[in-house]
Amino acid sequence: MREVELYFGPQHLGMVGNFSITLKVEGDCILEATANPGFLHRGFEKLMEYRTWIQNFPMVCRINVVEPDHMEMVYAMGVEKLANIEVPERAQWIRSVYLELARVGSHLFGLWAYANMLGFDTVAQWSMYHRDLILDLFEELTGGRVYHIYIWPGGVRRDFPEGFTDRMVETLHSIGKCVPDYNDIFFNNPLFYERAHNVGKISQEEAKEWGAVGQVLRATGMPYDIRKVEPYAAYDKVDFDIPTRVEGDAYSRVLVIRDEMIESVHLIFKLLDNMPGGKVFNRSFNPFKWKVPEGEAYVRVESSRGELGLYMVSDGKDKPYRVHFRTPSYTHGLIILEKLLEGANIADVGNTMISLYVVAPEIDR
Amino acid sequence: MNKKIVAELELAFKDIEVNTPQDTRVEICAREEQILTVLGFLANKGYDHLALISCVDWIEEEEFELVYIITPYLQENKAYIEKGDVFLKTRIARENPEARTAIPIFANAEPYEREIHELFGVKFSGHPRLTHLLLERDYEIPPFRKDFDTRKYVKDVFDSIPVIPEEEE
Amino acid sequence: MGKKTSILSPLKALKYLFKKPKTLLYPFELKEPAMRYRGLHLNDWDKCTGCGNCADVCPNEAIEMKEIPEIEAGDGERNERPEIDYGRCCFCGLCVDICPTASLRLSRDYFHIHFDPKTFKLLAKDEKTDKEHFLPEGEYSIFKASLAHRREKYEGFSPDLEYSLFNPERVPMSQASPEERKASFVEQVKGFSAKEAQKEASRCLECKLCEEVCPAEMNISDYVRNIWDDNLEEATRDIYKTNPLPEICGRVCTHKCESACVLGNQGKPLSIRWLKRYVVDNIPLEKYRKVLGTEEIKSIDRKVAIVGAGPGGLAAAYYLRLMGYQTVIFDRLPKPGGMMRYGIPEYRLPYEALDKDIEYIKSVGVEIRCNTTVGKDVSLDDLGDKYDAVFVSTGFHNGRSTGVPGTERSGVFQAIELLRKVTMGEKIKVTEKIVVIGGGDVAMDISRTLGRLQMEEFGTVGVTVSCLETRDIMPATPEEIEEALEEGIKLYPGWGPEKIIIDNEKIKGVVMKKCLRVFDKNGRFNPEFDVEKKMEIEGSMVVEAIGQAPDFTFLSEKIKEKLTYEGRKIKTDEYGQTSLSWLFIGGDLTRGPDVINAIDTGHKAARGIDKFISARE
Repeated sequence: MREVELYFGPQHLGMVGNFSITLKVEGDCILEATANPGFLHRGFEKLMEYRTWIQNFPMVCRINVVEPDHMEMVYAMGVEKLANIEVPERAQWIRSVYLELARVGSHLFGLWAYANMLGFDTVAQWSMYHRDLILDLFEELTGGRVYHIYIWPGGVRRDFPEGFTDRMVETLHSIGKCVPDYNDIFFNNPLFYERAHNVGKISQEEAKEWGAVGQVLRATGMPYDIRKVEPYAAYDKVDFDIPTRVEGDAYSRVLVIRDEMIESVHLIFKLLDNMPGGKVFNRSFNPFKWKVPEGEAYVRVESSRGELGLYMVSDGKDKPYRVHFRTPSYTHGLIILEKLLEGANIADVGNTMISLYVVAPEIDR
Repeated sequence: MNKKIVAELELAFKDIEVNTPQDTRVEICAREEQILTVLGFLANKGYDHLALISCVDWIEEEEFELVYIITPYLQENKAYIEKGDVFLKTRIARENPEARTAIPIFANAEPYEREIHELFGVKFSGHPRLTHLLLERDYEIPPFRKDFDTRKYVKDVFDSIPVIPEEEE
Repeated sequence: MGKKTSILSPLKALKYLFKKPKTLLYPFELKEPAMRYRGLHLNDWDKCTGCGNCADVCPNEAIEMKEIPEIEAGDGERNERPEIDYGRCCFCGLCVDICPTASLRLSRDYFHIHFDPKTFKLLAKDEKTDKEHFLPEGEYSIFKASLAHRREKYEGFSPDLEYSLFNPERVPMSQASPEERKASFVEQVKGFSAKEAQKEASRCLECKLCEEVCPAEMNISDYVRNIWDDNLEEATRDIYKTNPLPEICGRVCTHKCESACVLGNQGKPLSIRWLKRYVVDNIPLEKYRKVLGTEEIKSIDRKVAIVGAGPGGLAAAYYLRLMGYQTVIFDRLPKPGGMMRYGIPEYRLPYEALDKDIEYIKSVGVEIRCNTTVGKDVSLDDLGDKYDAVFVSTGFHNGRSTGVPGTERSGVFQAIELLRKVTMGEKIKVTEKIVVIGGGDVAMDISRTLGRLQMEEFGTVGVTVSCLETRDIMPATPEEIEEALEEGIKLYPGWGPEKIIIDNEKIKGVVMKKCLRVFDKNGRFNPEFDVEKKMEIEGSMVVEAIGQAPDFTFLSEKIKEKLTYEGRKIKTDEYGQTSLSWLFIGGDLTRGPDVINAIDTGHKAARGIDKFISARE
């Protein structure tokens, strides 16, 4: 049989985001896969050097379209570390609740992408609907549905509105009530098991060697979560589990996502029960006259895809000198994907890619 | 806390500077030739996750600074490794910058080095494919360098009709 | 491994088939955006001052300040309003959080669809000033929604002072307490430390509204920024570009800049005056010439005479000297300073500060001849002959009298004379109860000075002040009135003197009648009294502080003929040049009356004299 070069994406019904893979196939079997990122390269890191520290906030959340909140958090943490700003306690708890809500929303988005790719449209529409309810909550809290621009160095931008916690709990309960239906239709469905079992299998040593983080690693049995390794915000004050599985294939990755979602919802309830009062913003800067002291920092958070890190260098002026985001999809999408697709079927390309939860804007920045 | 690793490093390598600016960070400044040996040493001691390879353009000092950020995956051997990261920094000249690839030690260094090559112009010897990653063509000055003026680029390219040279297949 | 269920279990989803769908039948059913939604902009043109901070902070340069000629901008405002380009705006809301007047908000509208890209740039308005585009409930239709068809009273993301990006609170200034103050002439305001000054300087938003209001057009935002950068030498150079008396202005200026500061809208304005004082307090006198680059000044062979060593004269002399002219100042009092020394009491302006500024001006080569009265020792005509130009700023050193019966007696004094005597070191005989008539800064100065002298003599303060104006329109600076009241001075605003009570050749008090109104319909000074309501204030000494007048006795008839007058004032052009081309006047005689205006007239006169003399060559 001949070798054919196929272009999978960027405009492809099975592709989520603007990402492309060049496949060398022979028949149905892939010989070599090359990832082609770069369709969404906006040059954020260079553009951020031209704006002052505060003006960067509305920009930094646009790097990852699906889940902008962890980007804001990591940038705020970096600036707070360099400039030694203290954050009030209530603000840290609010940040944790906000990030967990973002994690649930982002996982629902991933579920939509995955289920759509496989053809389980009902589950896809349901998870998008439930994500919409969460976006309504965000709209009430911050004023925007997708780009929230809520976390600043020194705290958060506004406090909870009246009655917000009740509405949030109600919405989360209504989502939680549908979990048995999700399980019946999708997660426990033998069809899903057949499609996802043994697809994109990765062992723990290979995962560590190729730089995997997040669910990819947790699905191979290692409980590596930055919220436990290097706690930030209010995560060291509440107790929560890290779900893991041992198989390391697409099936276990998706099940880890489901377990994480449920764990996040429980975590939100625990955080809301114990939240302290007080103010939520320590005013410590004037946008036109703020100089961050010289130094560098590497801060990281656990986003819904894995370890999100930020390397920031400041030379004592009012604009950042170098900003470099370490996004989880970078290694997943550029190395692990290529290695996993060798010897796989064409039908499994989308399956593998989305179960690795590769999001194109994160790779390109 | 990292006293053990600091002591071991200083014992194993002469000629490198080791600081602990914060409780959870060890900073190593080494020369470009020593990078691979230090990386190998750290990988053996349990620091097996290469989080990031970054490049900073110090235009006034006419140097690029390559920064390798390495963290431990698992804190099993708690007596030895506690949480924290290691910064390995090295400086290379800005004119014709060159460095060695870290792929033999950390397999996931490949895309980071490709990106630094494309955006800063640093050549990594031994890298299997230094092709375009994010950008689609070559630029006179690699775009992330400090002397690349973004406004001038926009004016030249988008405010006028550029002449695209014919490519030979 | 998950629980595997039968292949028919997905059919359970059919139970949703008969449930109500959760879709919105748009556009017949609309989803109301949340209360904090970030949509299109709203701007209240009455509150907006045109400061331009929103345009400075926008990360996408989406806001441009457009000049609107129809708006009449008062002090501390510009006739510019923000225009927002919605092609660039990312609806982040930073402009809302930095707006110091809380006039810019975001609404809950977000529709605009149009073929013409020019309609995407909009001068943000709201329903107060734009009834045409903001429509009430009945007239608004979602089908026509656009930037020109909006809903009224539809605010979304609004500013909140607790979460604003600017700091409305001032760094407190340590001052002497009233107990400490009233017993001595020690300086009341203690000054900023380095950390406090930097923290205060970091509040400045650099909108430059203060610079437009300052009579001397000082570069305020530049030197405040240099304080923030800890670059005091550069800050001193910025100040001396327009003001050679910063130690003085840093203590007694009427700070119009602070009244214009946008931070004062929702908080306390920036302490510009005290920051200026901080800069020069920290540079020793010996280093001034080096820091300011005036170690060597080349001289040209032209001479200018200046009459009056007050702020106008000193400023004119300094700038003329920097241009190379040889300058001589004539002053009739024993020491230079004019009203600054002989009118402002020591607890507000200590003599060391005054001397420091004057010493520097002398050190660049300005000659000051004190105890020389022009009109007696030297005549103005002689000066006109011997010198290439003459600048006169003799100020208002004569006090005015109410003229009520009894004021001709001894025991009734003029505030200005008393203040002069205190400065010259003469002993004033104070009595236990003193009445001060007048409501301006001079009245406050004399009453607080006399209070301190009374504390020395008797151990208590017994000064009563009364003035025609009610408390809200008293011309004295509000801080002065507050501090006077704290020191135990009694105040009766809204009363006018009728006559002085004399008993046995001694003053016993003053009869006051209620003043109903000070200014008449045309805004002229024409007080109206209610003679039925009367009050007596006890006192054995009366001091009048109702106004000052200039002393023009030095003008000879020959000169007076050549001058043109405008009412009672001598007519001048913008440089202070009179119709007699070598005679320039300034200071209180033309503008003010205050120190900063006098400095500006001096600076302008220096430029005018330079133009005049160069034109003659």
